[in-house]
Amino acid sequence: MSAAAGPTPGTAGAPAGAAPWFEARGVSKHFGGVVALDGIDLAFYPGQIVGLIGDNGSGKSTFVKIASGVYQPSRGSFAVGGKEVRFRNAADARQAGIETVHQDLGLVDSMSIVRNFFLGAEVRRGPFLDLRRMRRETNRMLEEIGLGNLRDLGQDVSRLSGGERQAISIGRAVAFEKKMLILDEPTSALSIAETEKVFEFMRRARQRGLAVVCVMHNLAQVRDVADRFVVFWHGKKVVDVTNEGQSEQELAGYIIKGKLSELGIDQSSLDTGALRVLAQE
Amino acid sequence: MTAAQAGTNQQVLAGAGPAGPPGQGGPAGAAARTSRLGSSSLAFRILRQRETGIVLVGLLMFVVFSVLSNGTFDSVENWGGITSTAAELGIVTIGVALLMICGEFDLSVGANFSFAALVMATMIQDHYPPGAALVVALAIGAGIGLLNGLVTVTLDIPSFITTLGAFFLWTGVTLIVTGGETVTILPPTPALLNVLGGMLGSQIRSELLWWLGLAVVVGVVLQRTVTGNWFFAVGGKRLAAVEAGVPVTRTRVLAFVICGLFAAFAGAVQLGHLDSMSASFGTTYQLEAIAASVVGGCALMGGRGSMLGAVVGTLILAMLDSGLILSGVSPYWYEAVVGVILVAAVAMHTRVGQLVSGAGA
Repeated sequence: MSAAAGPTPGTAGAPAGAAPWFEARGVSKHFGGVVALDGIDLAFYPGQIVGLIGDNGSGKSTFVKIASGVYQPSRGSFAVGGKEVRFRNAADARQAGIETVHQDLGLVDSMSIVRNFFLGAEVRRGPFLDLRRMRRETNRMLEEIGLGNLRDLGQDVSRLSGGERQAISIGRAVAFEKKMLILDEPTSALSIAETEKVFEFMRRARQRGLAVVCVMHNLAQVRDVADRFVVFWHGKKVVDVTNEGQSEQELAGYIIKGKLSELGIDQSSLDTGALRVLAQE
Repeated sequence: MTAAQAGTNQQVLAGAGPAGPPGQGGPAGAAARTSRLGSSSLAFRILRQRETGIVLVGLLMFVVFSVLSNGTFDSVENWGGITSTAAELGIVTIGVALLMICGEFDLSVGANFSFAALVMATMIQDHYPPGAALVVALAIGAGIGLLNGLVTVTLDIPSFITTLGAFFLWTGVTLIVTGGETVTILPPTPALLNVLGGMLGSQIRSELLWWLGLAVVVGVVLQRTVTGNWFFAVGGKRLAAVEAGVPVTRTRVLAFVICGLFAAFAGAVQLGHLDSMSASFGTTYQLEAIAASVVGGCALMGGRGSMLGAVVGTLILAMLDSGLILSGVSPYWYEAVVGVILVAAVAMHTRVGQLVSGAGA
């Protein structure tokens, strides 16, 4: 039994009366003897942005990789719309309606922008790739994102700047988004204006009723955009609260002092890692 | 991806937001559409092709050898010879280049080539239907490729090692089975062998058509199909392909199977050409095919390459072989020159790649 799961596992921070679209039920992941995730119960709701935070090695990225089908859980299960699902690979997760921006951006440097955009979701015409249509759609979607200056869609991604690459990766997930959007550190290479743009996408996705999950280091940024915070610590979910307009400090204090003691977490162990992240900025 | 999935994606795309009329960027968009490097003019598009440099090198070689050989090199007779020698290596190279694009090596193609063709020759000698013998040869080639692929992905070891092991294994098996004997098919030669490697008219052999035809087909598959797209993605960055939902394991194994299939088919074509087969034929093909692929622009670590490059790379090796002799240079120089060209070509591809990357969507 996980002491950290809270009084109502997986349901904290739920919008009133809403049913979760995606649920993790006791999800654990082991790599050899290393426990990366330990019994995670977590639910995501349509029209809600969840900020997933935690120190390096807290298990956030592992969780993202499992939820997006790249890894398979060692234990536990997922449910989509209340029905249990098993993702054998990323294609299954995408099929179910989950689009993910991974930390490494998931771009193939030696391929063109267009081909990267449609990788794993290629548009066909008969037996062949419909490159004209793919180019047209990429063009339109990039324009929508405000990357209209990347006109040469045939150029390799390796020629793009860090910010442009990140924008391509996010643009791809936004373009295909269906039910849930997961972003792992989506703004790490972006300027303030570009970051605001990413937040705008997240808000628009929320408006369209998508469940949005955003892994972030920067507490100030998460506070700006998230409706709800989930904190991971050593592979466990230790906090799951709604964003009620707290200041950063209030938030950090609330999370650390209030919630953790309430949950009976040993605060001295947190001082070394989690506090540093939570109180940063 | 199934057609149904494609339909879903299109619906999603159509519903993804307020779409303007497609392809209309307005005046500002049209201005911005001009790329950094000038324009999307034909000249630019040709220049940024990775293969442009090596095609020019090939043409230069042609001119130099023609001059040095006093007109014997560029004779029709000589090109009949060059192209039929090149065709067998060229067919092997098609598969090897495809596999390299996918990020893997096959050092067993030479052994595969002779083993498959020897089994086919023996079957024909023993009066099995030639068609059945060909099917068995191709099955052997595909099977050797499948084994290479399965061992590589399940044991998670580098294909360089897997296929080096396979090279020794199948070379040994071939020698055990044949005792090192040459198998010769006595006349009347079955029609199938003529279709594979016989003369077409007075100068060219049918194997030239097989080579070029297959290169075109595989080129179209690579550039214009989902599977081809996946070969590039898996070789370019495997993790990104995994994250995008590409069936990476299946794609890798498929590339091994195709490579093995082409090696065996090349063996069948050589049998059609010579009407005889020996375990000593094709023993250097793995290295020559990798050299030809790399000269033609295949990246050693995968993700880049083309059938045009594979064909031109093979032709350059074949031109060297013939050109040196006809220019009065000792044929012993062949290997030495291949080595220099190989390194120079990679240096060129790297420099050109830094200047312009991209081969059109």
